[in-house]
Amino acid sequence: MSNAQQPSPIGDDLGLGLTLPGDSPSDALGRRHVHPITPIVHGVSVVPVIVLLVVASGGGVLAAFGWGIVPITVLAVVVVGLAVTGWSYLAWRNLWYWFDDDGDFRVDSGVLTRKQRRLQLSRLQAVDVAQPLFARLFSMAEVSIEVAGSGDSRVKLRYLKLAQARSLRNEVLARAAGLAGDVEEAPESALATVPTRDLAVSLVMRTATAGLLLLTVAIFVFTVLSEGWGGLPLVLITGGVPILVVASEFMRYFRFTVSQSPDGLRLRFGLARTETRTVPPGRVQAIEFVEPLLWRRWNWVRVRINIAGVGGESNGNQKEETLLIPVAPLPVAISLVHRLMPGLDLDALDWHPAPERSRRRAFIQWRRLAVAWDDSVLATRSGRFTRRLSVIPHVRTQSVRVTQGPWERMLDLATMHADSTPGPVSVKALHLDAHYAREVADEQVARARQARGSDTTTHWAKPQDHPDI
Amino acid sequence: MGSLTDMTPDTAFTYELGWIPVSPRLAVARRISLALVYLIVIAVVVALVLIPGVPTWVPVLVAAIAVVIFIWLWWLIGRRVRSFGYAERGDDLLVTSGILFRRLVIVPYGRMQLVDVQAGPIDRWLGVTTVQLHTAAATTDASIPGLVPDVAVELRDRLARRGEERSTGL
Repeated sequence: MSNAQQPSPIGDDLGLGLTLPGDSPSDALGRRHVHPITPIVHGVSVVPVIVLLVVASGGGVLAAFGWGIVPITVLAVVVVGLAVTGWSYLAWRNLWYWFDDDGDFRVDSGVLTRKQRRLQLSRLQAVDVAQPLFARLFSMAEVSIEVAGSGDSRVKLRYLKLAQARSLRNEVLARAAGLAGDVEEAPESALATVPTRDLAVSLVMRTATAGLLLLTVAIFVFTVLSEGWGGLPLVLITGGVPILVVASEFMRYFRFTVSQSPDGLRLRFGLARTETRTVPPGRVQAIEFVEPLLWRRWNWVRVRINIAGVGGESNGNQKEETLLIPVAPLPVAISLVHRLMPGLDLDALDWHPAPERSRRRAFIQWRRLAVAWDDSVLATRSGRFTRRLSVIPHVRTQSVRVTQGPWERMLDLATMHADSTPGPVSVKALHLDAHYAREVADEQVARARQARGSDTTTHWAKPQDHPDI
Repeated sequence: MGSLTDMTPDTAFTYELGWIPVSPRLAVARRISLALVYLIVIAVVVALVLIPGVPTWVPVLVAAIAVVIFIWLWWLIGRRVRSFGYAERGDDLLVTSGILFRRLVIVPYGRMQLVDVQAGPIDRWLGVTTVQLHTAAATTDASIPGLVPDVAVELRDRLARRGEERSTGL
C-alpha cells in the first residue's frame, strides 16, 4: 500500500496515533470479519440512550425512587449494555466478507436468519468511507458499498481500521473497473473546495430559511412593541427550526471538497462525522442546479445529483440529499458537472417554453417553465424565486410519463416526466401543451433507446472487448 | 381504439393505435371491495340508531350522504376501469389510466427490472390479475390491473423475454 509514504486522502483521522488492540481476523478461505471492537461500540452506545430516557422521564421517576434512581440507572445500563454487546458479538461472529472467484463481493451475515449477499461489482454505483467522530479518534471507519438493484442493494461494513477500509475500497473500485484486485490507490487532484464562510452564508440565505428568520425577527419585534409576550413560544419554532437545519447542514457539509481521480469523482465532507464518497464515471443518473433568489448576487448554485442506491426512499430511515457541491459559483459548478457529463453545453440548448396559458396554472413560475434536449441529455427548468434546472442523460432515462391533473386538463396542458432512480432530482417539464408533451415523451423514448445502444460506461477502465453485461 | 369508450380519439394520452382494455370484471371486483367497506358504514348507521339520545335525523343524514357517495363511487369505478389500457410496441410498453388525474407511462423493455403478477382473494375468485412493471426508478408506476390470469401470465413472460433481450445496465 502506498499509504505508508504518502497520507491517503480517503478518510480523515485526527492523527492522534491512537489505535485499538485487535485486528479483523480472517479464515483459511480469505473471508474476513470486521474489527472486534464493533460489539463493544454497540454496547457502549446504549449508555447515552438510557441516561437520556431517565432524564426525559424526569420528576416522576425521581419521585418514585428518590436517589435510588442512580443505582437503578447504572444497573439498567449494565444489563442492557451487556445484552446488546452479546447480541452484536454473535452478529460480528457471523459476519464475513470476501471477494469470490467470479470477482463479486460476498457478505454473509445474520444471527437467527442467515443472509448471504453477492454484490455484482460491475454494477457498482458508489463506495463511501465514513467516520463518525469517535471512529476518527481511533482511526476506524465504516465502508458502504452500493450496487444497482432494487431493494436492499447497500452493504455497510463497520467498523474497520482505516487502513483496511482504504484497501477494501480500492479493491472494490479496481474490480468494478475491470482491473485485477490488488492495485494501489488512485491519485487525485482537487477540483473545488467550499469555503466555510460561503457555506454558512449560503445556508442562511436559502429562500425558506431566510424567510423564516425574517419572520422570527418580525414576530419578536412585534411582541416586544406590543408587550404581549404571547409570540415568544412561536419565535422558538420559527427561529429554532431554521437554525437547526442550518447547523446540521453546516456540520454535514463542512469543508466540502470535490476531487478528480481515475476511479471517479471523490466527494469529501463533514465536521464531526466525515465522509468520503467515490462516484465512478457514468454513475450519475441526473443532475439539478438549484439557485435560490438570495444567492444570485454571488451567482451561486447548489448541484444535486441522483446516484442509484444512495439517497432514495428505499434507503432506510432518512432521505439523503445527495449533492455534487452544496454551493459554488456557477462557472465552477458547470466545470464540475462537465466531469460527470462531458460535452454538456447548457448554453447551446434550444428551450421550448410552456405555452402562455400555463400562467393560469402556475401564476409565478410559468415564464421559466421550459424543456430542451440535445443529442445526449434532456433538460427542464422551473421556479421563479428558487430557479431549478434539471438534466438527465438520455441513456439514464428509466421510463417516460405524461400526467395531467384536472386543472391542467381544463387548460389542455400536461406534464412530461423523465423518470430517474430515486434521489433528490426529478426531471419534469411542467404544464406543456398536452399534445406537445406527448410528442416530446415519444421522442424522448426514441432518444433513450438510441443512447442505450451505444453506452460504454459499465467497466470504465477496461478496453471495450465486450459491449455490455 | 373504440374500446376505450371514455376517451376521444384525439386526446394526447390515447393516440396510440391498438389499446387493449382491461377486463370489465375488474369493476365487479372493485365494487365488491367497495361494498365490503360499506358494511362498516352500515354498522355505524345501525349503531347511531340504537344509541339512545341520538336525534333521529343524525343516522338519516349519515345514511343519505353515504348513499350518495356510494352511487358516485360505483359510477366512478366503472369509468376508471374503462380508462385503463395498455399497448405493446416494438421496444416499449404503454400504460394509460385515470379520469381526474390522467397518466401515460412508457416503459422501454430494456429498462424493466422485474415484472410482478399479483391477485388478492376477491380478484382470484373473479379471475382478475394485476401485472406490475418495475424499473430502477421508483416513480415508474406502471401497473395493469384487471387482466385475465392467462393473459397476465402470458404478458409477464413476453415482457420478461423482451426485457432480457434488450437488457442494459443502469
